[in-house]
Amino acid sequence: MGTATAIGARLAQTLFVLWAVVTILFFLFRLMPGSPLAAYIDPNFTPEQQEALLARFGLDQPLWKQYFIYLGNLLQGDLGESFFYRTPVAERVFELLPNTLILTFSSLILAYIFGVLAGAYLAWKRGGAVEQIAIPLVLTTRAMPEFWLGMLLLAVFSFSFGWFPAGGTRPPCMEFESTIALYTSSAFWWHMTLPVLTLAIYSQGLPLLLMRSNMLDVMREDFVTMARIKGLSPFTVVIRHAARNALLPVMTSFAIAVGYQIQGNVVVETIFSWPGLGRELVRAVSAADYPLAQGAFLMIAVVVILMNLVADLLYAALDPRVTRG
Amino acid sequence: MTDTLLSLRELRIGYSVGKNEVTAVDGASFDVAPGSVVGLVGESGCGKTTLARALTRVLASNARITGGQAIFGGTDIMALSEREMNRLRWRDIAFIPQSAMNSLDPVYTVGNQLREVLVKRGRLGRAAARDRMVELFEWVGIEPGRLGDYPHQFSGGMRQRVAIALALALDPKLIIADEPVTALDVIVQRQILDQLKDLRDRLGISVILVTHDISVVAYICDRVVVMYAGKVVESGPMAATLTDPAHPYTMGLRNAFPDLAGAAGELVPIHGAPPNLMFPPPGCRFAARCPFAQTRCAGAVPSLKDLGAEHLAACHRIEERDALRAEALKAATWADMRGAA
Amino acid sequence: MADATQTGPASVAQPGLLRRAFAAMHLPLGDPFAIAGIVIYLVFIVVAIFAPSIATHDPTEILFTSDFMLAADLRPGEEGYIMGTTTLGRDVFSQLVWGSRSALIIGLMAAFMVALIGTIVGVVAGYFGGWLDTIMMRLADIAFGIPFLPFVIVLAAFLEPSIWNVVLAMALVLWRDTGRVIRSQTLTLRNRVYVEAARVSGSSDLKIILRHIVPNILPLSFLYGSIAIGWAILTEASISFLGFGDPESISWGYMLQDAFASQALSKGAYYWFVPPGVLIILIVSAGFFISRGYEKILFPKLDR
Repeated sequence: MGTATAIGARLAQTLFVLWAVVTILFFLFRLMPGSPLAAYIDPNFTPEQQEALLARFGLDQPLWKQYFIYLGNLLQGDLGESFFYRTPVAERVFELLPNTLILTFSSLILAYIFGVLAGAYLAWKRGGAVEQIAIPLVLTTRAMPEFWLGMLLLAVFSFSFGWFPAGGTRPPCMEFESTIALYTSSAFWWHMTLPVLTLAIYSQGLPLLLMRSNMLDVMREDFVTMARIKGLSPFTVVIRHAARNALLPVMTSFAIAVGYQIQGNVVVETIFSWPGLGRELVRAVSAADYPLAQGAFLMIAVVVILMNLVADLLYAALDPRVTRG
Repeated sequence: MTDTLLSLRELRIGYSVGKNEVTAVDGASFDVAPGSVVGLVGESGCGKTTLARALTRVLASNARITGGQAIFGGTDIMALSEREMNRLRWRDIAFIPQSAMNSLDPVYTVGNQLREVLVKRGRLGRAAARDRMVELFEWVGIEPGRLGDYPHQFSGGMRQRVAIALALALDPKLIIADEPVTALDVIVQRQILDQLKDLRDRLGISVILVTHDISVVAYICDRVVVMYAGKVVESGPMAATLTDPAHPYTMGLRNAFPDLAGAAGELVPIHGAPPNLMFPPPGCRFAARCPFAQTRCAGAVPSLKDLGAEHLAACHRIEERDALRAEALKAATWADMRGAA
Repeated sequence: MADATQTGPASVAQPGLLRRAFAAMHLPLGDPFAIAGIVIYLVFIVVAIFAPSIATHDPTEILFTSDFMLAADLRPGEEGYIMGTTTLGRDVFSQLVWGSRSALIIGLMAAFMVALIGTIVGVVAGYFGGWLDTIMMRLADIAFGIPFLPFVIVLAAFLEPSIWNVVLAMALVLWRDTGRVIRSQTLTLRNRVYVEAARVSGSSDLKIILRHIVPNILPLSFLYGSIAIGWAILTEASISFLGFGDPESISWGYMLQDAFASQALSKGAYYWFVPPGVLIILIVSAGFFISRGYEKILFPKLDR
């Protein structure tokens, strides 16, 4: 199969999964007990007012019709209107998405830089005392509930030592002219430190273990031995040949990790009152604001699905054996 | 011979296997003259590959050089520090591996890998490296346009040529080729061997060619060193050694391989398997498989005896070699050994 | 039926049903870490079974001090509460003990469901192939596109919050990894000579699957099941922490939520929120160790 055909098939699969998830989402939110408008309707509303409301949200139509209206609206970027904020869901979701993405990417980049280096180092020093301690320690971080780690960091560094703020993206008194101004302010990064650290500590295990085991495989390859026979420096042998080859699957896993991380962010965002998609999803579900919950869920799902796609394409792009086959 | 490029003296290499020490190369001695091709022959596991790799000082992690010397250009390379050895590697001693596919890094183009040794080890500038790469590819008969291709885009024979080009890159004095043609079909084998011959003649490089295939030795080598179970059992000029072998093992090997041209008599295998080197037999290591073995063969280790004209062999019945050789040509001699070992 | 008591010169003692089931699990008893994992599990199982006798108090009971004050935020040891009390005056130690019950129930049930669904889907897709395979693998693609934790949250919130719904939600998504792996393993098994032979000699598909495929698949199912235990316990903790858990049961996730909401962090009540996390780590890493042991058995190449 040619590369173009393969990519085409992969894109078609992505579209199919997107459609399927959107459909599941639609019916999932119809599972909600009671009237979807229960939270919205004032008990003092007259039956006429209630019906007018139902009509406004299209809820007086038969289910299949609602489904097509929903699909049609989605294609136009219309995610409905939040019951709680009374504003378009799309607006709210796109406002929160950058916060979530910044958190996810900063923590993962940190985790991957550390994980790749530490994993390569552990592979290099295979069989030593460091390994005896490091590997169980890494497994422990994988077994930790992320939010509990966040709680510990909060208790120690925020409440006990007072070094870091306890939550949010900025001090309550501070106002910023634009989101750009906020993101580039030191206060923002200050607030971001603990949640990023929490997520990074949790995530570094995957790249670390992956890198280590890949390195151990690659170090046994003939071309690494050949590099030594060529008299190349140990640095060139380990970094340019062994690590470069071991890195391929690790890079691919980055995209997958983004997908995992963004769904796991839900709890950490809640702990640190970080105004992101995950925390909004929890709040919307609790408040029965289902258009907003649906929108936040959809956004997270889109990131997951796109990252699965990116992982596959990245693999093809990074490995000459796939691209130039 | 006074003019010697490399001289091995009683080289010993051991592997630690669990708590035991296995001696894979047990006191190997032979010389390599400048511009000559020396064939190192033997069955798999006889220590020839270990010996070849030891000359680069890149061995498996459980392997150790336990004794002896390898005098190269006046210095014992077995005694060099890792740093000193690294300076020598590839500039003086290059290596052609058995499987070029696995020994080329899959994520870099072949040009990139060639440039790596030229720039990092040869101290060439980028432009000079570029010229050298084109020259090398022309030498080995690959179109320079393919420098930008990845290893997996080449055929097996082509990859082997790339490996040769790599080995030639820094004008080494000695190339060690570990079964360089084993994975290839006969026609390609010949092309590659012709190439090696041609380059040897043109550039005056010495080659140690490790092979289990005596027909390859016959085709290209000037001298041959026969190894069995970690020991050198016979060595000498190629023609003399192969036409008039003095050790029964060499006699047997000669029967077991077709001529490279394909014209061969009956192929007669040597029955049995080499001894377990963890518990080597006390006498001649070939005794158990040797059709001419006598009681003394199992008792004492034979030493290498000089037969003149730089021909050496280690056999207790060396004086009877002409009679044994005639006997060894008969298939029945070897067939009788089927039950042995 | 196996008769374990039968003794005859020719009869090799037929293992009893329990022992056969045990043997079928291929427990990784050669690996010290895996053994440690199994021991940790056994301890938790014992604690969970005997929770009523081990716990010093009813975990939900509001307790009072000897001078009839609410026993709130007592430090460990104060007034005889081993690990202190919560802001609402509940005994932390007893909650920890009872928490092992819900953790084990959730973990084992989810693991069982995941392994069961994944195995069935994988075997059916791999063995029968064709359109069944296509449908099931597309379903797996979809499951990979569903954000796991948000999905569990929504389902737990919309159905009534109970352990069962959390398990169901997890099983609905997590079968995907198991399913894919088991499918590819089934594909290779299907083409083995003895399976071909059974098919040619007229064995029914069901018989072939039960006789030849499933026994070979089972260790893989256990591996993925043991991985799912950890996932399930961590997920349940998250769900309870977010307030979507079963309000009827005391879980470690619930304890952490209670502590978080009661400002335990700013009060520095480490005795309250550290132990549940440590127990979660213990039981989840025990699962990791067991699954690593399985991996070493199944993929000896990885053992280094």
